[in-house]
This record gives sequence, C-alpha cells and structure tokens, in this order.
Amino acid sequence: MYSTEQHLLPPSISQIVRWMWRWSVCPVAVSRGYMPFCSTQQKPHQANPSPISQVTHRPGNQLTLCSLLKMGFSETQAKEMHEGATKSRGKHVHSVLTALLLLGLNPSSILKIMQKCPEVYSLKGADLQQRIDHLRKMGLVEGVSLSVPLFPGSLQRMISRYPKVMLLPVKRVNMVSRLLREKCLFTIHQATDILRDSPEVLEQDLSKLEYKFQYAYFRMGVRQPEMVKAKLFRLSLSELRCRHCFLEQRGLYQTPDKKGQTLILNPPLKDILCVSEETYLVQVAMADADEFHVFRKLMAREQEEEGREDEYSSDEELEEDKDDDEDDDGLHRRKRHWNTGYKKDRK
Amino acid sequence: MAASVLTRFCINKSKGSIRFIQRRYRVKTKWAATRPTFPATELALHNFDTSYSIQLRDLWPSIRVAMLSEQKYGALINSFSSAPNVITELEAQGCKDFISIDCTRNEVHQSSLDSMTSHRDSAELDPAALQPSMSPDIKCLVFPKGDISRFNPARPDSSGILGYYLLDAASVLPVLALDVQPGHTVLDLCAAPGGKTLALLQTHSVNHLWANDLSGSRTMRLRRTLQSYLPKEFLEENKIHITSTDGRQLGMTEEKSFERVLVDVPCTTDRHSAMVEENNIFKRSRTKERQKLPLLQTQLLLAGIQATRGGGNIVYSTCSLSQLQNECVVQKAISLAQRELGITVQVQDLRWFAQCFSDTFHFAPQLSVGELVLPHLCANFGPIYMCKLQRMN
Repeated sequence: MYSTEQHLLPPSISQIVRWMWRWSVCPVAVSRGYMPFCSTQQKPHQANPSPISQVTHRPGNQLTLCSLLKMGFSETQAKEMHEGATKSRGKHVHSVLTALLLLGLNPSSILKIMQKCPEVYSLKGADLQQRIDHLRKMGLVEGVSLSVPLFPGSLQRMISRYPKVMLLPVKRVNMVSRLLREKCLFTIHQATDILRDSPEVLEQDLSKLEYKFQYAYFRMGVRQPEMVKAKLFRLSLSELRCRHCFLEQRGLYQTPDKKGQTLILNPPLKDILCVSEETYLVQVAMADADEFHVFRKLMAREQEEEGREDEYSSDEELEEDKDDDEDDDGLHRRKRHWNTGYKKDRK
Repeated sequence: MAASVLTRFCINKSKGSIRFIQRRYRVKTKWAATRPTFPATELALHNFDTSYSIQLRDLWPSIRVAMLSEQKYGALINSFSSAPNVITELEAQGCKDFISIDCTRNEVHQSSLDSMTSHRDSAELDPAALQPSMSPDIKCLVFPKGDISRFNPARPDSSGILGYYLLDAASVLPVLALDVQPGHTVLDLCAAPGGKTLALLQTHSVNHLWANDLSGSRTMRLRRTLQSYLPKEFLEENKIHITSTDGRQLGMTEEKSFERVLVDVPCTTDRHSAMVEENNIFKRSRTKERQKLPLLQTQLLLAGIQATRGGGNIVYSTCSLSQLQNECVVQKAISLAQRELGITVQVQDLRWFAQCFSDTFHFAPQLSVGELVLPHLCANFGPIYMCKLQRMN
C-alpha cells in the first residue's frame, strides 16, 4: 500500500499554501505569516488530483494511512495517528485534521497536539472549525507582516500549547471573555492577550477567576495592564497568595491605601510572578528556601481550615476569661481563637 | 466598578447584648459593629517596623513574618502527673525533649574539648567544673525544626492532673538559666499566668516558692493553673505562697530573702500585640501606660535585686525585642542598684547557654547584655529576652 506513494515527498509548506489558494478554502490563513516561498518553486500540476480535493470529496470517511501520508505525515507519524484515531473511534477525524492543517499547523505539531489531547479525535470537523473561527473573531490572530518569516500566529501558538481549548464550546469561551471584559474591566485587547497567554482560564470556574482578579486588584492594588503583563492568570490562586503574603508579612509589600499610596515601593507584579521560585526568593523576598516552604505549609493548612470552618460555620462563644494581656505563654485558648476577624488583615 | 465584596473581608454583625463592662474592655470583637479605623495591631506593627528595622536590620523581615505566623509551642512535661506514658505518647508523634538532647550534645562536645586541652594544661581547672549549671529535671518536648504539627490539648490523669502544659518553648529558657538548686527559696515576681512558675516547680528543688502578680484576675488564673497541674497534697504543703500585690513593694518588705528571683516583667508582648486586637497595649488609650513600661520594668528589676540574698541569682526576662525594654532596663537597674542602694550586681555570661540551645532556637548575635531568642519560621519560638545577674553583696 505504501509502495506507490513512496516517491511522493511530504508536501512543503508552500504546497499547502498553494492548495489553499487554489481551493479558496481559507484566505485569511494565508496572511498569518506563511511566507510564499512558492514564487520560487513552481509545481503547476499534480499527477493525481490534489489530496485535499480527495479528502473533501470523501467527508467523514474512514481515515486511511494513505490519506494521512498525503496530508504530509511521515510513515511513523501516520501510523501513530491512525492508531489514535481508531482507538478513539472518532468519526470525523478527516475533517478535524483538515481544519488543523488549514490553520497552518505542520504535521508534527498536529501529532503532538493529538498526543497531548486525544479527545480532539472525537470532535466534529464542523464544530472545530466553528470554534477556531470564533477564536479568530475574538482577535486571536495577530496581523503579521509577510516580511516576518514563519512567525506562527497567536492562534496556532495557543492551540499547540493548550489543545484542550478546542474541546470548549463557543458559549464557554464567550462567558469567560465577557467576565474579563465586563466584570474585570479588561479591554478587548487585554482580554485577548490573557486568552492567548493563559488559555487555562477558559476552563476555570468563573467565580474563582473573578476572585483571583479581585485578590490582585483590591488586596494587592494591582491594575489591569500590570496583570496582563505579569500573566496573572497562569498562576494558581494559592501560589499567588503564598508569594504575595510572604512578601507582605516580611514587610516588603503593602496594600495601597485609598489614594493608591504605600509607604514602601512595592515590587512589580511580574517580578513576583513571572520568575522561578529561586529567583523570587533571592531577589524579591530575600529569604531562605526553608523559610518559604514552612510558610507555604502554614498557609495551606490555614486555607484548609478556613474551608472547613466555612462549612461548619457556627457562632460558638469564645471563652469568656480572655484576660490575656501580657500573656506570653500557655495555651488554653481553643484553636478557633485564631479566627478573630482581624486575622485576615495581617500586613 | 461592580466590585463584589469578598465575604472574607466583611464583619459579622454584633450579637447585640447589652452589658455593663469596664471601659477598657468595651470594644470587643464579638460585640463591635464596626472595626476601629486603625486597629491596634496595625499600630503595633508600624511601631515595630520603625524601630526593629533599624535595630535588627537584615534579620527583621524573617522575624516579622514569623511573628505574624502561627506560633510554635512546646509541651512542658508535668512530672506531678501519674499518667505513665505521657512522654512516650508525645514522642510517638515526633517531638523530642530539646533540653536533654541539646545538653547531652553539649556535654559530648565539652568532653571532647576537655580531652583535647587536658594534657596541655593540667594546672588549669577542669573546664567541665567551670561550665555553669542549669535548673535540673525540666523536660519540654518540641517538634523538630520546620515541622508545623500542633499539640493536642493535655488530658487529665486519674486524679485530674494534666500531663503537660503548652507554652512557648523559649519561655522555659529563663527558668533553666536561673539554675535553681535543691533547697532554694524562689521568688517569681510577675508570675501569672503560670507557665514559668510551673517550670520552676518541675525542678523539685524549690524549698519555698513565692509567686506574685499585680493583677487579681491573673492571680486567680495562676491559682487555677496550679490546681490543674499539682496534686492537692503538694498544694497543701504550704510550699507555694501566692500574692497579688505590686512587685515593687516586695523589694523592701522581703529584702534579702531569696536565693533565686525570676523577674518576668510586663512588656509590650510583641508577638501578641501584632496578632490580637483585644486589649492590645498599642491601643491609643494605653499609650501612656506603654510609654511608662521601661520605668516600671526597671523598678521591678530593682525590687527583685533587693529581694535577693548575697550570692543569689536574678533572671530578668521579657517577651519583647525592644532594646529599650531589654538591655537598657538591665543596665539602668545595675547602675541604680550600685548608686542608690550600694548593691553590686554582676552580669552572668549566657553565651554558653545560647550555644547549647542553638539547634532548637535562633538567637540574636552579639547583644551587649543578655540573650535574645528570635522568631523564625523554621523555629517559631520567642521573642524572649533574658539576662542573668548575680548579687555580689
């Protein structure tokens, strides 16, 4: 089965571009930085009808190794793809792959995506195309000048980095985008940047997303442009809280007052979040790793206990004989005594 | 902007019970409908930031975060309890008696030093004899460095006596430094709520203990503590005398009566003031009281010195980092004692002591007088300051 196709080389990028032009499938895709090398290479006709036309003539049909090879996969890649497709029992793998190719992803990237996220096999081609179009409408395509060679656009980058985004319905993407724009007051441009840099936000619980934003806005006094620059949404809330509270309790970070003023100069958010833990400890917090690890353990326990207390919220009376002035030793308070209303306000 | 207020930042409405209470206690968390605009804890922290960043420099951020985090406790073993397995049960949870561990390690180190120097100068006194001693038989279990496990509350044994007392492990150090030997009469000038008093009694060397505290309610608390930890027979033996008077008077009334005096003065209780709002000494209404503290502390220490016999030891301790309440008070008291009362007092070096326990606690480097335990996240005890004095005449 392979013998007849052995002489065919995998199609170059230029060929794909020409196929797309010829079949007028996706004019927009062309503008995304795919250099038309084709001006130097002329291959006016194919011996057989273009593989793409073959594919489009047989929508949703059984995926053959032959068609995979025609799409540009190597033999090993094609075998792996075929295996994955049959395992998932997806019925529209052809159209899915077409859509991905149209996006301008090369065969090895596509294989990587399928390995990372095998659920993509089970998608419908039309759904996928709709989602990709929607993301594109949201501005996830950067207009790149043709003079920049092979600059993969933001859409390809996002999908390669985070293939799960293809599994999400358009409605979900819309909800997240609306939250960012309407409740968090990011500009459209900023919202696009967030989706591009941290596509994980699309899968997060909306209230948790909002809470994280509010934590940064009110508790840390950070504004939207800084949040985008620091890729705030890439970090989990617990890690954000940990790094911030560690600095705050060391006296190196202060929540700005009503007028936005602080007594000290707060380190910029990207210096706190975008660096490795070692760099953060050495340059920003100026502390030992042991100290930070103990702090993290303490915070984790505190969060866990707060979570449990919210569950069993009670208005137990605290012990009456709270004559604790100048009480330096002795533990006869219950653990709940720690949970005075001011505990959260530690600076 | 539509900012939904996070529930964690809100206060629950007061329960609204009308009661007649003392002015000092009038605004309590559970009855307050609004927060004070500048909570005393914030004022305290601001005060600390200003003074300690200069005094402690690079060490201050680590101390600050430790003081704002959950404190680490130690379990002072109550040898009066008849429960058989208190220590083994605690050790099974992973903690160890830091006193015996640090001391044996120090003895081993000392004996290796002895063997090195002994053939060099046989004429010199045996170094081991020169090594100062400390109060015996006190056991305090702590979890290892970096371990944040908590202790369970102590359980009563068959006679209702509790097995251990939970306290800041660093609070035991002044009692150890006091070096109570058998037959000694001991005065605890500001005894409440009773942790150090209890530790003194664990030595089983106290012939007679006088525990005093100014506040009546705190003295009651001291009594209750002792009742929970000591068998009735022991309490009835009249070995312990509890009073509720001004400690400064005791200097004159009980002159030269005690071999050992512990002066654990009222101070700004730094850790407590940074965390707990109720009755905080940094409240604006208590500013005068706070500013007069160093004077009060000096007077109490002087009284303690007066009450000591010749050759006796006095240990001065606070739970504050402030130089004004620590070294300055000690130095003032020493000079006043010399000038006004003709009493010569000598500072006893505690560096060996700090070295002995340096594995369990973080000590401040190079104080002019005394030793200071610094809070650190890996060993979140303290702050405790202590200074040992000896009356010479």
